[in-house]
Parts: sequence; C-alpha cells; structure tokens
Amino acid sequence: MMIQTEKGPKKRWNINMLSSYGTIIAGILIVLIFSLLSPSSFATVDNFMNITRQISLLVVIAIGATLVMSVNEFDLSIGAMASLGGVVSAKLATEGVPIILCVLIPLLVGLFVGAVNGYIITRFNVLSFVTTLAMGTVIGGFTFWFTEGATIFENIPEGFKWLGQTVVAGIPMLSIMMVIIVLVFWFFMSQMGIGRRFYAIGGNERASRVSGVPIQRYKTLAFALCGMLAAFTGALLASRLGSAHPTGGDGYFLNAYAAVFLGMTVVRTGVPNIFGTLFGAAVLGILANGLTILQIPTFLQNVITGLIIIAALIIQKLGREKG
Amino acid sequence: MKKLLFILAAFMLVLSLSACGEESSTASEGSGETAKKVAIMTPYLSSVTTKQMVDTLEASAKEKGWSANIVDTNGDVGALASRMEDVISSKVDAIILVSTDPNQVQSQIQKAKENNILVFGSDSSYIDGMTANATSDNAEMSKLMTEYLIEQIGEKGNLIVFTHRPHPGVLKRTEMLDEILKDYPDINVITEQEIKVPGPIENARQQMESLLLANQEEGSITAVWAGWDEPAIGAAQAIEAAGRENIVVTGIDGNSQAVEMIEKGSSIKATVKQNFDGMAEIVIEQMEKAFNGEEVDGTELYAPAELIEGK
Repeated sequence: MMIQTEKGPKKRWNINMLSSYGTIIAGILIVLIFSLLSPSSFATVDNFMNITRQISLLVVIAIGATLVMSVNEFDLSIGAMASLGGVVSAKLATEGVPIILCVLIPLLVGLFVGAVNGYIITRFNVLSFVTTLAMGTVIGGFTFWFTEGATIFENIPEGFKWLGQTVVAGIPMLSIMMVIIVLVFWFFMSQMGIGRRFYAIGGNERASRVSGVPIQRYKTLAFALCGMLAAFTGALLASRLGSAHPTGGDGYFLNAYAAVFLGMTVVRTGVPNIFGTLFGAAVLGILANGLTILQIPTFLQNVITGLIIIAALIIQKLGREKG
Repeated sequence: MKKLLFILAAFMLVLSLSACGEESSTASEGSGETAKKVAIMTPYLSSVTTKQMVDTLEASAKEKGWSANIVDTNGDVGALASRMEDVISSKVDAIILVSTDPNQVQSQIQKAKENNILVFGSDSSYIDGMTANATSDNAEMSKLMTEYLIEQIGEKGNLIVFTHRPHPGVLKRTEMLDEILKDYPDINVITEQEIKVPGPIENARQQMESLLLANQEEGSITAVWAGWDEPAIGAAQAIEAAGRENIVVTGIDGNSQAVEMIEKGSSIKATVKQNFDGMAEIVIEQMEKAFNGEEVDGTELYAPAELIEGK
C-alpha cells in the first residue's frame, strides 16, 4: 500500500498501460462477452439496473473497507457488523420505531463498535487483523443472543422496505443510494484534508508520526466510518429482503475485500480508492449476474471469479515491477 | 506480459465455450416448442440432504425434457436474492427454492410472479406468490422422534439440545420439542446449543466434546436431541471417542451416514427418515401440472416420514 512515485521511462508505456488498465480492459471484455452470449437477457437496461442494485450493498460495505485499508489496516469484523446492523434495524422496525431511527440507530451502533476497534488497535498497538477478527466473533455472538438465532421477518412494516425495494423512475433506490455514497466518500478521500492524511498514514506511518499527524485519531475515524458503513449495509440488506438473518451479512466480508483489491489494480499508485472499489464491486457483480444468466454451474462461477481476481493482481504487480 | 494476456484470453474462451455449451444444450432439448427452463436454487448445497433433493429435482426435470440450472450461494441469503433476480432476467419458466425460508426472498418471489415465473419450494415453506411447497411435516416428525426419545430415557434425565433455529424446518422441530418437554418436568435441559452451518458435524462434535468434559459423571448426560442428523452424527462421534456409554442420541432426516451408524449400533439410536426424493417428485409432478395450466393439488404438500431405530 505504499504510494509509489512512478517515473518510469516513456518507452515502457504499454506495460504500464496494462498494469493500470488491465483490470478495466478485463472488465470491458467480460461485459462484451456476456452481451454477445446473452443479448436478450444480459444486455438490457433492466438488467443493468438489476446489477447496480445488486452491487449497491457490496459497494457500501467495501467503501468502509477501503477507508480502513487506506490507513494500512484491516477490519475483519465488517461481515458480522453488517449482520448485526441488519437485525438491529429489522428488530426496531418490528417494534414500530420510526423508519428513520431504524436506519440511524444501527449506524450509531456501527460507528461505536468501529471506534472501539480503532481505539483498541491504536491505543494498545495491537494487530488489526486479530483484533477485528475477535471483535467479529463478539459481534456474531451478540447478534445470536439478540435474535435467539431466528430470522426476523414477522410484522416488518411496509415502510421499512422503502430504501431497499423502491424504484424511482426505473432506477432502484439502492442504486441511487450507492451513487450518493460513492460521491460523498470520493469527495472525502480525495478532496478533503482528512482523506489525504489517511493515505499519508497508509503510505508511511512512521513519517506521518514524525511529522506530527495524530495517527490514533485518524485510524480510529477510519475504523468508525467502516463500522458505520458495514452496519448501514446490513440495514439496507434487511430492507431489501424484508427480513434479517443473524448471519445475513457475513457473506459480504470476503467480497468486500476482493472489490477493494480489484480496485487497487485500477490505479497506477496501487492504493485503495473509492472509484476503484466501485469498479471492483461492479466486476464481481457483473460476473455473478452474467454467469448465472448463462446458467454456468455455481462451482465454475466461483473458480472463474477467483481466477480473474488473481490474474488482475498478477498483471498489475508485473506491470509495476517492470515499469 | 503476453503470456498473461494469453491466460486471460484463454479464460474468456473457456468461459464463452462453457456458456455456449450450456445454451446449445438447452436449445436442442426442446421438442417442437422451446424446452422449459427451471432454476433450482439453494444456499445449502453442501448439506447432504439438500444435495440429494437437488439431484433428484435435476434428474426428474431432465426426464421431463426441461433444462435445469443449479444455483448455490454457500449460505448467503442476500446473494440468493440477487441470483433469483438474475434467473428472472434470464426468463426461466420456474424457480425451485430448496431448503430456504421464502420469507427472506419475499420481494424476489413477487417479482417472479409478476414475470409469470412459477416459484416452488422443496423442503422450504409456502408463502404468498408461490405455487406450492413440498416438505415433511416437521412438527409431526419432531413429535415422533421426541416421544420416542422420552420413552427411551424413561421420561427423566438430563438432555442436551443441538439445533439451528434460523432454518425454518429445524425451528418447527425445536418448537415441538419445547412444547412436548413442558409436560415432562423430570427432564432437565442442560443446554441448547446452536450448531454452525456449514460444518455441522464438526461443530457438533466439538461442542459435544466440551459438554462431555464439563459433565463427566455417569448419568450427568442422559440424551442428546439433535434437530437434524448431522449434529447427531457429530455428537455420537464425540461420545464414542470419549468412551462414554448410556447416552442416547437422536437425529431427524434419515441421512445415509446416520442410518448406517444406527444399523451398526452407535450412540445414535434413531432418526426419522424424511422422504426427500418424495418431496422432489411432488415438486416436479406439481410443476408439470402448473405448466399444463392445471390446478396444483395444494400449497403445502407433505411427503410421509418414517421412524428408523437401531437394535
């Protein structure tokens, strides 16, 4: 995650091109192939909307992961946090709490737990990998206790499904939400001082410390926002499904990091970045959608998806080394 | 660099070939009109019984000349919702939800209905928007098993419960257990543990090992009631490895591994055999009726179950 100052010689431009655009080219190829093979099902406006809706949750949670990775840390509790966010949100809804609070309260829970993660990691200087893994277990246990292991679906008011299921002028509300969040966090990361501090810490923590950056505060902020976005993802998932399962968000954890890593291959500097993450999530979403439409067996889908991610990483790495 | 590009291109080729293969095979099967397309969907393909049902569904569908596509989301219900939207986009004729709580994909079921796609359940449950669900009567099976277990232990003792309440069928069984236990004050439930899925056998085994360590006296554990067979297998393995005797384990489902253990005389003393093939056949039968524009026999259809006990 070092910020590289690339000053490669001009004649190497095609290898650099590949390293920067390899993933994008692969993404375009995937879309082209699916469109050719299944023009009537894949390449339609309806299905495009379908895909944007399907990736919206992954994008939201992956943006959280992007923030934490930009300060060179990991948060492995995001899946469990999303599950918790979902059940808290759904539970509040069944209790007749106003919808706005059903979304806000999980956000605060996520913000708080994320901040605790960040505090422990920076205050005691322990590995985020292990700390958040443990925190994920704690959250998972809490979620189980909270739900008694059951799926929450009875008596959920129709209003609760507004965020997850409404379509405005042909565009799913979830897709609109995704665009807003991407823009907000893009602005946060690239146009505001805080975002640049994140990258400085991620690039060279010691240098940042020496130059007086309050690392503890920024890292804790990154974890807190990450927790908040994970909980928000859970709430959106509950709204989308009209129900909340005690492990419903767990599946997002690995995909979120896959999206961030794919996103890192999109930019020359190889740092986690918001648009890259959006792109990475889109590639994953398009693969899942297209392969299902083409009736490719599930096991082969997993193999193909995994290999494409590995290929993207290798190409970028090679390109950078040679460049 | 060229090599890598080559690898990438090879991928795409494999992908497109397999895709072409799939599409042409579906096209060739139709006799006159286009073949019906059925999507068989579940988050739990790794479970033995779910797999068994999926296999029977696939085979029976193909016998009818329909094309069948299997989608598994490895325990992830959110992903199942997305994949349902995908198969709806690809205009299948019917969707079969296997071992899934349909309440979690309500809006996708409605969307399927709007697109004239039939939704069936196999060992799921019935909700509005679906055509029918075939299952075992879980409450009835649990009653059969629980009463047998209570009789075996002489209506008293210390019971351990292994369950997984998020699964709709297992939930019904556990609720029936709770209900029956109310009438037996001499049966003390030491603990109820949630078994993790996937990996229920290993998880149950580990939990049982700990519970055996915590309850070492003879008679401190009388029986283990498992919500389905896989935890029962894990519990029996732990009991046998620890050399403990006189602990009665029961499961429900009748999966082949459990039945084999019962026959060999393990700690698992009984299970209730669900008729998974029967459920799959009911689904296909009803689907054919629906495709032909006939009424289905009912929305919740039951395949009968039987008690299997050891010596």
